Amino acid sequence: MEIIKAISIGALFGIGLYQLLRRNVIRSAIGLSIISNAVNLFLLSIGAYDGVVKAYAKAIGQRSDALPQALILTAIVISLGGFAFVLALLYVIAARYRTGDSDEVKGLSH
Amino acid sequence: MMSSSLAILPIVIPLTAAAAALLLRRNFRLQAAWAFGAMLTALAASAYLLWTVWSTGRPVIYQMGQWPAPFGITIAADLLSATMGAMVQLVFAFGFIYALGAKDKAVRHPTFYPLFLCLVAGLTGGMLTGDIFNLFVMVELIVISGTVLTAMSDDRYGPEAAYKYFLISTVASFSLLFGIGCLYISYGTLNMADLAARIAADQAPALLPAAIVFLAVTFMIKSAVVPFHFWQPDFHTASPTPVSAMLSSVVVKIGVYGFLRMTTLLTPHADWLRALLVALGIVGIVFGGLGAAGTHNAKRMFAYSTLAQIGFIHVGVGWGTPLSLTAAIVFTFNHALIKSTLLMLSGYLASRAPVKTASFSVLRGTGKYAPLAGVLFFVGGMALAGIPPTNGFISKLTLFESGVQAARSGSVNGTLAYWAPLLLLGVSSIITLVYVFRALMKIWWEPFKPDAPEAKVKPSGDSLLAPSLMIAACIALGIWAQPLLQLAQDASEWIRQPQAYVQAVLGERTGRLK
Repeated sequence: MEIIKAISIGALFGIGLYQLLRRNVIRSAIGLSIISNAVNLFLLSIGAYDGVVKAYAKAIGQRSDALPQALILTAIVISLGGFAFVLALLYVIAARYRTGDSDEVKGLSH
Repeated sequence: MMSSSLAILPIVIPLTAAAAALLLRRNFRLQAAWAFGAMLTALAASAYLLWTVWSTGRPVIYQMGQWPAPFGITIAADLLSATMGAMVQLVFAFGFIYALGAKDKAVRHPTFYPLFLCLVAGLTGGMLTGDIFNLFVMVELIVISGTVLTAMSDDRYGPEAAYKYFLISTVASFSLLFGIGCLYISYGTLNMADLAARIAADQAPALLPAAIVFLAVTFMIKSAVVPFHFWQPDFHTASPTPVSAMLSSVVVKIGVYGFLRMTTLLTPHADWLRALLVALGIVGIVFGGLGAAGTHNAKRMFAYSTLAQIGFIHVGVGWGTPLSLTAAIVFTFNHALIKSTLLMLSGYLASRAPVKTASFSVLRGTGKYAPLAGVLFFVGGMALAGIPPTNGFISKLTLFESGVQAARSGSVNGTLAYWAPLLLLGVSSIITLVYVFRALMKIWWEPFKPDAPEAKVKPSGDSLLAPSLMIAACIALGIWAQPLLQLAQDASEWIRQPQAYVQAVLGERTGRLK
C-alpha cells in the first residue's frame, strides 16, 4: 500500500511539473492543479506518521489522525480559489495577446 | 508568559475591516476613509504591541480559542515578530496615504482597499503567527490579494505579470506544504515552538533535510533570491504604484523573516543553509546591481535593486553573529522605507508623464516639471547607496562592522565569506550611485523631447505627501538611529535564545516532551 501511494504521489508530481513547464498557458495552469493534488495525497499519507494510526482506519475502534485531513481541506479550498482565479486571468491574457503560447506572452520582457 | 488578545489585533483589524469595506463599495470616499482609519488603528495596535513586548521584555502570546499551545493555533509576538509587524504596518500606512492621493483607475476600483487590507493582514499574520500551517494560510492570503491587485492594474501588462507571479508563488506554496508535511511526519506537530524543541532534541528523522530544503525554497522564492528572482521585476513593474511600492519593500520581507526564524529557531543546526544564504546573497548583490544598471524603466530598476539589497540582508542572516543579525534587522527596516519611497516617486513621475509608464524613454526630461520629486529622488537614491546622513548608511555601516568584527575575531572558518561581501558592499554602493545618477540624468537633466510634438507633461499627478514623509523618516532614522539599532540589537538577542521563545509559547509543557 505504501509503495503504491508513494509511486502515485511521485507520478502525479512529475506529470504536474511537466505540464507546468509546457509552453501552453492552459497546460501550465492544469499542471498546478495536478501538483496540488499530489501535495494533498502526500498530506493524506502523513496521517500515518506513527506507523500505528492510519489516515484510512481499517478496523473498528482504530482512530485516524484527523489533522492532516483538516490541512488537506484548507489546501483544497485555497487551491480551488486560486485555480478559478488563474483561469479568469488566462481568459484575459488570451483575449489580450491572442495566443496561448507563453513564449508569445512577453510584453514585460524589457 | 503573557496571554493577551493584543497579539492578534494587528491581524484581525485589517481582515474584518476588509470585509466591512466591501459593504461600503457603493460609496468610494467612505470606503477609502474607512480603510485608512482601519489601517491607522491596526498600526496603533501593532505599535502598542511592539511597545508592550519591548518594555516588558516578554513575548505576548495568544492561543486561539484558548486551546493550549501545541494543539491550537498560536499567535506569538516576540520582539522580532512585533518589530517586523510594526514595520509592515508603518510602510503600509504610507502606502495608504499614497493610494488616497493616487490618480490610478485601479485605486478607484471598489475592491482595491479591501484587497490592500487583506494584503497587510496576510503579511502581518505571517510574521506574527507561531503555527507553521497558519503561516501557509497567511502566505496564500498574500499571494491571492497581491495577484488580484496586480491583475487590475492600469498597466496593460498587469494580467501577464499577475499570471507569472501566481504560477511561481503557487509553486512556492506547494513547496511550503511539502515542507510542512515532512515536518509533521517527523515530529507530529505544527506549532513552531514545539517543532523547535523537538528538532533540537532529535535530528535523526530522514525527512528533516527534505523539510529544510522545501522551506528554504519557499522563502527563497518569496524573497526573490537570485535563482528564483525572475518573476519579481515583471511583477513589481506592472502593479499599481501603491501596490508595487509595498511589494518590493515589505512583501519580500516575509522570506527574510522566514530565514531569520529558520536559522535561529527551527533549524539552527543547519550550517549549510547559512553558508548557502551567504553565497546566494553575494550572487544577488552582483546580479541585482548589474541588472538595475541595465534597465530602461525606473520601476524595473528599483525592482532589480531590491535583489541586491535583499542579498545584503541574506548575507547578514547567513553570517548569524549577534551583530550581523542586528544588521540584517536594521537593513530590513531601512530598506522597506527607502525602496517604497523610490517606487512611489517613480510612480509619481509616471503619473505626470504624457503616457502613463515609468519607462525612461517617456520620462526623459519630464523632471523639469517636478522639482520637488527630483530632490526627494536624489535623497532617496543617496539612502539606497548608503551615503550619510540617511538611514541607508546606518544599515550598511552596521553590516560592515559585523563583518569586520567576525573576520577579525577569526572565530569562523572561511574568512573569505566575510571579506567578499565587505568588498561588494563598497562596489555595490558605487553601482547603486551609477544607476541612480543615470536615472537622475535621464529624467532631470536631459531636455524634454517627446516623440509626439503635442505631448505634454500633465500639470498634476499623484500626491507627493507620502514620499515626502518617508524621506523625512529616512533622514530622521539616519541622524537619530540609536532607538532602531537598540531595538534590532534586543531583537537579535531574543532570537538567539530559542529556548526562551519555546518556553513562552509552551509554558510548563516543555518539561514533559514525548
